Amino acid sequence: MSRARARLAGGGTDFVLSVCVAMAALLVAMIFVVAAGVSFSRGASAFVDGAFGSQLNLAGTLAKMVPLTLVALGWIVVFKAGRFHVGFPGQILIGGLLVSVVALKIHLPAGIHLPLTILAGAVGGALFAGIAAWLWAKRGVNEILSTLLLNLVAVQILAWWVRGPFHDKTTPLPLTAPLPNTSRWPELLVNTDLHWDIVLVPVVAGAISFLLARTLFGFRTRLVGAGEQVARHAGISPEGVGTRAILLSGALAGLAGASLVIAGSTAPMGEDFGSNYGFTGIAVALLARNSPIASIPAALLFAALEQGGGVMEGTVGISSSLVDFIQGLMIVLVLAATTILYLLRRRHRASRGAGPRKQPAPKPELEPVR
Amino acid sequence: MFGDSGEGVNVEDSSVAQQPSTSGTGVESQSALRLVGITKRFPGVLANDRVSLDVRKGEVLGLLGENGAGKSTLMNVVYGLQRPDEGQIVVNGKEVEIRSPQHALELGLGMVHQHFMLIPDMTVAENVALAPSALPGLSRLKEVEREVDELSRRFGLQVDPCATIQDLTVGARQRVEILKLLYRGADLLILDEPTAALTPAEWHELSRFLRGMADQGRSVIFITHKLDELFGLVDRCTVLRDGRVVDTVNIGDTDKPALARMMVGREVTLRVERPIVPAGKTVLEVKNLSLEDEEGRLVLDDINFEVHEGEVFGVAGVAGNGQSELVDCLIGLRNPTNGGIHLDGELLTAQDPATFTAAGGALVPEDRHREAVALELSVLDNMLMKEYQSSRYSTRGVINFDAAREHADKLVRDYDVKTPNTDVPVRMLSGGNQQKLVLARELSRDPRLVIAFQPTRGLDVGAIEFVYGELNDKKKAGGAVLLISFELDEIFTMADRFAVMVGGRFREILEGGKADPERVGLLMGGAEVAA
Repeated sequence: MSRARARLAGGGTDFVLSVCVAMAALLVAMIFVVAAGVSFSRGASAFVDGAFGSQLNLAGTLAKMVPLTLVALGWIVVFKAGRFHVGFPGQILIGGLLVSVVALKIHLPAGIHLPLTILAGAVGGALFAGIAAWLWAKRGVNEILSTLLLNLVAVQILAWWVRGPFHDKTTPLPLTAPLPNTSRWPELLVNTDLHWDIVLVPVVAGAISFLLARTLFGFRTRLVGAGEQVARHAGISPEGVGTRAILLSGALAGLAGASLVIAGSTAPMGEDFGSNYGFTGIAVALLARNSPIASIPAALLFAALEQGGGVMEGTVGISSSLVDFIQGLMIVLVLAATTILYLLRRRHRASRGAGPRKQPAPKPELEPVR
Repeated sequence: MFGDSGEGVNVEDSSVAQQPSTSGTGVESQSALRLVGITKRFPGVLANDRVSLDVRKGEVLGLLGENGAGKSTLMNVVYGLQRPDEGQIVVNGKEVEIRSPQHALELGLGMVHQHFMLIPDMTVAENVALAPSALPGLSRLKEVEREVDELSRRFGLQVDPCATIQDLTVGARQRVEILKLLYRGADLLILDEPTAALTPAEWHELSRFLRGMADQGRSVIFITHKLDELFGLVDRCTVLRDGRVVDTVNIGDTDKPALARMMVGREVTLRVERPIVPAGKTVLEVKNLSLEDEEGRLVLDDINFEVHEGEVFGVAGVAGNGQSELVDCLIGLRNPTNGGIHLDGELLTAQDPATFTAAGGALVPEDRHREAVALELSVLDNMLMKEYQSSRYSTRGVINFDAAREHADKLVRDYDVKTPNTDVPVRMLSGGNQQKLVLARELSRDPRLVIAFQPTRGLDVGAIEFVYGELNDKKKAGGAVLLISFELDEIFTMADRFAVMVGGRFREILEGGKADPERVGLLMGGAEVAA
């Protein structure tokens, strides 16, 4: 088998698998739609209309892609380093918090103000992730636990932020003052949610893809992810690599937070702009099977579900919680399919190359999910 | 092959007569387990091709074959882990279909795996009581303890039922595994390469026990790729190659070279010639090296030695006597409490494997899958692992994959690593080819010092030959080699001088050609008691 074909075969299986999973989840969801008394065609067309049917709806879908892709990329970076953190919701919020500081307290022309504001978001996310990174590298605290708890801390910080120091006194609502236009992403389509931050999707996905595949940083990251002891023997510090990966991942989540604040539909910043993006982004990465480029279509699908589901609720009266159900189903299916594929590949592997490899003795632990 | 597909028992029946049998009721002629024409296919590969063999009651049958010859697949079939595509399994005269390991055990077949299936922080009796079928309550534990004690006495397997597994030696853990199976009613034991980490004394004990089992009318299948272990233990030996039975021979009618030929299908030089090279300058000098572990125990105790150009310096000893810690200190993974390590006269102060590598050190690690290769990464990535920062393979942080690929392709050719291409993950390679990859990566950098820690672990004869050849070439080219091995044969084959390591100390430094194996064995084993 030629090299190119070998690579394609692997990637192709992944792609087909993800498409099948998505289709299966949508079909199951449609069963519920039909069970609720809405005809298949009406449900489906309401959904497609909601996601892509009008300029407004399409813009909403594309706008939702941005934070989803960025969080998915953040997950992919830490995952490749063998670390798992779930601190994206918190990092999004703290990213947004720093955005509000730079946007409201610094007065600059747009050409400088906007980049600085965006940078503030990334820095905020990275700083907040840094707490978990430090706890892990220096104190051995499991990063899943620390980030999960830090998410709650971030929620409280933000609740205080928009009621206390940054509260806009002209409104009883927990909101900041409107962020000036110099600090906001310009609109791409006038009077829609779609802003120029959509360019982040291909640019950042391409950059992360390149970073992981072609650079020394990526090589170290992949090596640590593939085995800490091997990395150590190659003179690479897993703690150093892991810390950097967590920081970068936090920066990406912070960037997502920035987009949610300065490319959103409202000028003031509230406390709940993070919505579910921090966790849904992980699902996007799972569906993309941790490929930075594939996370773009995966994010599009999840964004369409959010957007289309919301509209569908209004038009045919199906609860938008169906969307949560579909997303959950997709995660379960991706994991199940991954395991099944892994078992199939292992069986396939025994038949490849020069001869059957020595079978390792069956171990009592569960096989790791790959 | 040899037209052996019908009945595997085409050899003379006199074998059992050579061995004294206590049962004396003629059971030795009965078959305990018979495999007839077992075929197991994996897509594209025939792992077992019409394999037939027969184990009689009261005999030890050797199952000899290289890695990948189909031994493990065959035993997985017998143990109910995989279903055969064709063929029959006959246990005690009845044809059966084995559904699971538990079912196999119910039929009296017990398997001792290479990796023990014991829970380290439970006692022997608790481990034995953890039957897959029935979990006796704690109240029964005393009973189990008594039964274990009785079993261990009856079979001469010394084990304290109240000891905790993690305090036991490898040999003792193995005895627990065997007891566990006997307790659950196994009367045919399958041992899959059981001798990897045993001391000579433990091996003798195991061998005596297995003979005893046979003499009581039970049966043993002893899987190995080490020829030495067969003589004095097995009655007959079935040789597998490429998934097929080459022959089943009476051990009294054959010899090592004949078995080796059958196993690999060609002549092999079982003893590698040790080239004599005049020793040159000192490459590695270790002075007063000591290391305390986290609990303050001295795991390395005042170690002193030198390795010269053109020399293989061996470290013999049983696993767990400080070898891993010694290597960790040498390559900079751990900070010695005391003492100095000099490479080419330079004191290695920075404790970091990258420094060791940069100073001209190479390492073939002990645990291939954990320390030497990243199984999920490509052959290319693995080849690049120690040199990825070199200016040849990267500019301003971006890896030059063309140069790296060229380099990897060349290494694959030069070291004859069998792989479809350099993009496949390393886990697709056989153990021997993985080790070739490691050697290629480490030796091609033209290092001054090569530390080889158990470099032939789990390899078959052909691959072992390759490893020895490479290390000897390195020595002839004026490199220094530090060979750390738990297998005395390896030390005797390769080392010009060697130390016996016991309890973190070098007991004695001996000349390779002149040492007396008995004495070395005593040095290694005697101190194990002390430790």
